[in-house]
Amino acid sequence: MTRTNTRRLIFLVVFLGVALPLIFNIDLTHHATPETRQAYTNIESLPDSAIVLVSFDFEASSWAEIKPLAEVLLAHVFARNLRVVGVSLFAEGTTLGEQILAAIAAEKGREYGVDYCYLGYRPQYVAAILGMGESITAEFPADYYGAPTKNLPLFADLHNYDQVNLVISIADGSMPTYWTEYAVAPYGVNLEVALTATMATAYYPYLSSGQISGLLAGLKGAAEYELLLKQAGGGKRGLFAQSVSQVVIMLVIIAGNVADYFRRRKPWK
Amino acid sequence: MEISTLVAVFFTMAIFSFLYRDNPFYRLAEHVLIGLSVGFTLVLLFNSVLLPKLFQPLFGSHDLWSLIPLALGLSMFAGLKKSWGSYSKPALALMIGSGAGVSIPAMMEARVLRQMASAIEPFSRMGAGESVGLWFIVTILISLIGVATVMIYFFYTRPETKPVTFVSQVGIYFLMVFFGATFGYTVTSRLTLLIGRLEFLLGDFLGLI
Repeated sequence: MTRTNTRRLIFLVVFLGVALPLIFNIDLTHHATPETRQAYTNIESLPDSAIVLVSFDFEASSWAEIKPLAEVLLAHVFARNLRVVGVSLFAEGTTLGEQILAAIAAEKGREYGVDYCYLGYRPQYVAAILGMGESITAEFPADYYGAPTKNLPLFADLHNYDQVNLVISIADGSMPTYWTEYAVAPYGVNLEVALTATMATAYYPYLSSGQISGLLAGLKGAAEYELLLKQAGGGKRGLFAQSVSQVVIMLVIIAGNVADYFRRRKPWK
Repeated sequence: MEISTLVAVFFTMAIFSFLYRDNPFYRLAEHVLIGLSVGFTLVLLFNSVLLPKLFQPLFGSHDLWSLIPLALGLSMFAGLKKSWGSYSKPALALMIGSGAGVSIPAMMEARVLRQMASAIEPFSRMGAGESVGLWFIVTILISLIGVATVMIYFFYTRPETKPVTFVSQVGIYFLMVFFGATFGYTVTSRLTLLIGRLEFLLGDFLGLI
């Protein structure tokens, strides 16, 4: 078999490894890891009507992984009767953040301006994060829809990070690092992060040092959170497909190494 | 079926077609993605920066202070012509100077000092006589060995004596564990993206799930 055909065979096997479990789905038993529990407890322990600033720091390409995380976190925040301020520090996350925030708020019967608001995008994330520490209304004079933020009832008792009980960065890149540097260190912000799995290992040291107070990573993190929230969602739905495809990839890696071993002993002709 | 679903199906299949070989459909999808992304970002930047921070203050409330960032911003374009390059330097100097001034202390605090404190903190707890379990001691010892050996591995002017080389080799193993974990998470992450697309194709388009 040629190298090109081998690659195509691997693509086909991985495709089937994902598609078939999606069609013939099985509910897998799973449990919540301590870091997911910590993230859950973090929100659970906030007082009624506390303010949560949710930052949608991702690009459209990672939407499949980010969506279940955002859905489950926002569902929990709204179910706890907390007030939400949404912002975006990544251009592509702006409209997606608005869509999901508005959808979950509508589902939970929350009122715009009173229970939640969306401030939209601000470039130069360092300046934006630092600016909100001084004054959120000065940094965002108008919300995403153009209404002056100072006229929103939500901002009657909200000025800067002093009144924000929790910041959640839903991210697919290194934005939580900047939140740590420019909001946690100077302003003592309570930061929780929801990340794509790729980024998870980079943030365990921050979790360990207490600079972030909760970490959710990837589809597995979303599925674990759904378990704690006793809610079905995108995390659990994809868990079986992900598990099967991971086994398929491990088998492919083993097969590749075995083939390579024999190839080295006796070169293919 | 909505037309947006059909458009999404077409572009999804066009991108997937690259797995077989490069082709015009893939190229079309790639160019559309780049064009949309750049166009969207430009419009967003205009609406969220230039309009509220420059044009509205300048032409709406006649705030002449806005001329300063306008002049600095325009001077950045001088860098495009070699002979005018020096005109962009004040704006660049301001950006680099203020950027470094803001970021250096913040990075030192968040990435170095707090991480060092976190590495030392378990020992101070033990030193203060706090009762800790055996597993706790094992984990902090592993952590300490990992930090020390990896730092020695990245100490490029180290003497190549046998003990130092051995310690740096141990550091390589710790790095390999980190790379392995990161690779595993990355594969998981990419599979999730595939799951998302297949959920769309099998569910929204074909109605199989």
